[in-house]
Amino acid sequence: MLKEWEVVVVGAGAAGLSAALAAAQSGAQVTVLDAYPAPGGQYYRQPPQYLQKHATRRQRQGRQLWQQAQQAGVTIINDCLVWYADGERQIIARTALDSYEVHAHALILASGAYERPVAFPGWTLPGVLMTSAAQTLLYQHILPGKRVLLAGTGPLQLVVAKKLLDAGAELAGVLEGNPVARRAVRHIPALWGQWERIAEGLASYLTMLWHQAPYRTGWGIVEAHGVSQVEGATIARLDDQWRPIPGSHQRVACDTICIGYGLIPFNSLSRQMGAEQSWNEALGGIVPVRDDNLQTSIAGVYAAGDGAGIGGVRMSMIEGRIAGFCAAAGLGHAPQTLALQQAKKQQKSEAVFQRLLMDLFTPGPGAYELASDETLICRCEGVTKRKLAQAVAHKASTMMELKSETRCGMGECQGRICEQGVLHYLEQVSRQPVDASSVYHLRPPVFPLPIDVLGRTPLV
Amino acid sequence: MTMRFGIPRQSPTMTFFVDGKAMTAFQGDTVAGALFAAGIRAWRRARSGEERGLLCGIGICFDCLVTVDGQSDQRACQTLVEPGMLVETNLISIPVNGTGKDSPPC
Repeated sequence: MLKEWEVVVVGAGAAGLSAALAAAQSGAQVTVLDAYPAPGGQYYRQPPQYLQKHATRRQRQGRQLWQQAQQAGVTIINDCLVWYADGERQIIARTALDSYEVHAHALILASGAYERPVAFPGWTLPGVLMTSAAQTLLYQHILPGKRVLLAGTGPLQLVVAKKLLDAGAELAGVLEGNPVARRAVRHIPALWGQWERIAEGLASYLTMLWHQAPYRTGWGIVEAHGVSQVEGATIARLDDQWRPIPGSHQRVACDTICIGYGLIPFNSLSRQMGAEQSWNEALGGIVPVRDDNLQTSIAGVYAAGDGAGIGGVRMSMIEGRIAGFCAAAGLGHAPQTLALQQAKKQQKSEAVFQRLLMDLFTPGPGAYELASDETLICRCEGVTKRKLAQAVAHKASTMMELKSETRCGMGECQGRICEQGVLHYLEQVSRQPVDASSVYHLRPPVFPLPIDVLGRTPLV
Repeated sequence: MTMRFGIPRQSPTMTFFVDGKAMTAFQGDTVAGALFAAGIRAWRRARSGEERGLLCGIGICFDCLVTVDGQSDQRACQTLVEPGMLVETNLISIPVNGTGKDSPPC
């Protein structure tokens, strides 16, 4: 039975909860569907129940945010995967016990982001983790490894390095690929006044100094070594384009490698629905085109937060409020003109910081050239760079042709891990930029499903 | 359990089974977390033949799949351990150099 729901928000992170609260405050009936066991998303991820009284200030803030939303009448459904969405705003979601087939009068996509996958020799070895995985282990009070190398770029790396040190791990290195200090100079005007953030960055940096952690900027990982697990890595000094400088290679011993090359949007739903997309490197890649009210090209479908373009937690909350107010007003609820104006003003000033972060912490093209012929680009289907090269030699020249020729992007992750790798590979061989319309075409389901679930679903 | 840190002494634990072997977990552990805590970091053989474990940790990459209480292809990073849970890996059941797959889906 197709249910009629007024406002549906996908994702209960910073953006989704802010959107839900804003829409509810405007008088709308709001339901939030969230993939995780508890609301909060990645930023406000909660500790396990029995460690609740050890919650950090951030975790308590997250809890307050969703309690505020619930008090405003918002319903939050957790452990709920939205695996189908179409241009008519019909969605299908499932929990372990229930299936929801819903026609949403307004839909706000706030599905967050994940770490930009970058392939290099050895990246499939057990013990090579994305920084997000290291964080989820640390939240469970489990060390990802005893001697850890962090590589990539971005403030998150420093934060995780500090947590690892505090938890008693040894650091084999903390490698920031961008020459951050040199580049930050031109951003002094934008940094002026961001004292809280500067303090946070400094605190992490001072912890590095205090523990004499090998923190290096302008360095990166070139290869992970090991037979059945990580045993070490080759690192090198990088030039401005992130290409390893010959002769600078060093071997380090480590049992774990945390890679974090910044975030990219989880955009599967807006793409599957057919919302127009564009390519924006600074926002993390493929992002939905939105108007001033954060509405996508599909009427009544809004996108907010990192899932629509990487902007960080503050930008996510601001965008969430804008989308929430506008979605409710679009359904005839009282427009919150003042609050909306204020949010749009905040959005403008936050955008300055967003550009700064992207300028400081976006990997250069050299990061995508590390893979050898034997390196897997598509981990699910086991497609090596050599297989992609063979397909190109057989005249495959687009993402979709490579997909049908090699099966890259057809595995369990639905292309989320290999897409940007394949795209950058195509750019390298064709020597021209790939446009957003030529990326993988996404079809339901967004997540793999048991076949009987598909069989019981009338919409598909 | 040497990979754990800062756990209060009275924390509740439980037993679950991985490929028939009894293991201990804390309440709130994911399957991936409990395996890491026990020093196990590879629990799945991929189609390309090599062993895999945790990659993204947030339910995106599907590299950490295990069978849980008979249900195949569950994400170890998203599945909370429950008392008596039966977790199976595919480390033995898929041929090392085979494709593990005979007909393409879709």
